Amino acid sequence: MKSLIYIEMKDGKPQNSSLEAISIAKKLGTGLAVVIGHQNNIMSTLISGYGVDVLQIENDVQNQDELIYVLENIVKENDVQTVMFGATQEGKDLAPRLAARLATGCVTDVIDMDMAADTLVVTRPAFGGTVLEKMKFADGKTAVVTTRGGSFPKPEAGEAGKITCMTMEVPADVVKTTLIDKTVEITEQVNLEGADIIVAGGRGCGSEETFALVKELADLLDGVVGASRPAIEAGWISRAHQVGQSGKNVAPKLYIACGISGAMQHISGMTGSDYIVAINKDEDAPIFDIADIGIVGKCEDMLPLLIEAIRSKRA
Amino acid sequence: MNILVCVKQVPDDFVKVHLNSEGLPATEGIEKVVNAFDTYAVEMAVRLCEAHDGKVVVLTLGEEEAVRPSMVQMIAVGAKQAYIYKPSALGDETSTASGLAEAIKKCEAAEGITFDLIMCGKESTDEISSQVGAMLSEKMGLGFVSSVVGVEPVEDGLKVQQETEEGFAYYQVACPAVVTVTKPEYDPRYPTLKSKMAARKAVIPCDTVDVEAAAVICESYAEPAKREAGVKIQEKEAAEAVAKAMAILAEDKVL
Repeated sequence: MKSLIYIEMKDGKPQNSSLEAISIAKKLGTGLAVVIGHQNNIMSTLISGYGVDVLQIENDVQNQDELIYVLENIVKENDVQTVMFGATQEGKDLAPRLAARLATGCVTDVIDMDMAADTLVVTRPAFGGTVLEKMKFADGKTAVVTTRGGSFPKPEAGEAGKITCMTMEVPADVVKTTLIDKTVEITEQVNLEGADIIVAGGRGCGSEETFALVKELADLLDGVVGASRPAIEAGWISRAHQVGQSGKNVAPKLYIACGISGAMQHISGMTGSDYIVAINKDEDAPIFDIADIGIVGKCEDMLPLLIEAIRSKRA
Repeated sequence: MNILVCVKQVPDDFVKVHLNSEGLPATEGIEKVVNAFDTYAVEMAVRLCEAHDGKVVVLTLGEEEAVRPSMVQMIAVGAKQAYIYKPSALGDETSTASGLAEAIKKCEAAEGITFDLIMCGKESTDEISSQVGAMLSEKMGLGFVSSVVGVEPVEDGLKVQQETEEGFAYYQVACPAVVTVTKPEYDPRYPTLKSKMAARKAVIPCDTVDVEAAAVICESYAEPAKREAGVKIQEKEAAEAVAKAMAILAEDKVL
């Protein structure tokens, strides 16, 4: 089976979920990665080093309407059975639109892909992650999927694939939506997906002062600060730190959940953590059902002591 | 400005869904509510029409007796008219998007108007696939913007504010357009007793629509591997609790 992988870039780097899609494409067969932009020769070389062929589109296609046109034509001109995007905001915009153009369907947030008797079976979570759906595509339909970050390994280096460069004329009338302006409110880089340790805070922190202790503990452990939605809505931290359904899907070695009750929208994003410590004043909080260590108590009481204990252990 | 909002009724997402003895998601006993993102879309649409005139119409796909309460609820919070369309079959997102495209045409004919803007929630809280709005824009051949938190009519169309990972993006799009809505800064309004009473009497026309066959078929369901609950530490003194936790962390070689 041959898969087309759209390489999404941000600040000149490929998105992790795009790279992870390469690894599952290789496991299922061969891959053809699409890199957009004339100045991206280095990117194409890097991607081909993972053992997939690369098609570099030399025009600087920025607009999603143009991108859809380009991708639709690439799929039609190449014999591919699967099209993969990372399950990012861009991937989730592009995949269903492309699927509609190709008169096929789409599966988003795919966490597993496998062949069962020559048929591709893809698995995705539904209902906030309490149910997994195993899906297949109808006969003859191209499989369009978005792969959820962290679900597949990083690709290993392979024999360098072939790089083909081409330009594609895009008719002006495909553009229906024009970007006028962009504002950046969140400048910090938050690498939740790659973190070994995450210390996350939620509503139960109760105040900005207590949430500051979450940050202090994260700093102390060289970890990354995570948050559940109520903490973000309270304005204690930016939404770049959100873990869960509408945030990031994470799988650190250690996840410390402070004042997070464990709504399934949050749990679905962190249940893959190796080790979970939870602090919550409500002894019946669902977070305790999945925690390796559950501490019943208030964050403002526990966190200063925990920080102190870790400091003195290291001294 | 005439705005159509596509609404989906979903099981209350505060209730955990598990599989029943037949291996299917057990949603029967769970209260049905309007998808939260659709309620944000309806509120945004009602605010737009309050500021710029126009009419908010809502529609849904489903069986009348099952979905009428949700439609009544949307009328109670500002929608002027609701329609229910029974799809010819159940299917995937492709089926839903094709059914909606046909329903919108029927709805425009029934209302004798054309819609300037079509809104959907960014995703539904049950399937969470975030596909239907995007597919609908393609089926209708219209411009599309996702994760919208603001819409403003401008000279030749709409200026649309999209929430991005870093901040916001602003797009110009011609009318009609399809947008999907995420949580804006404000909350949806509550119905009043008076608006609730009035909505209950609303005449909600019902019709049928044909849908495209599913391209994606769900073969089976499974539940993810469960994590075992570990040690729960419950001490009177916080210091004692932390000391216990530190001892376990050391024993498990976590820190």
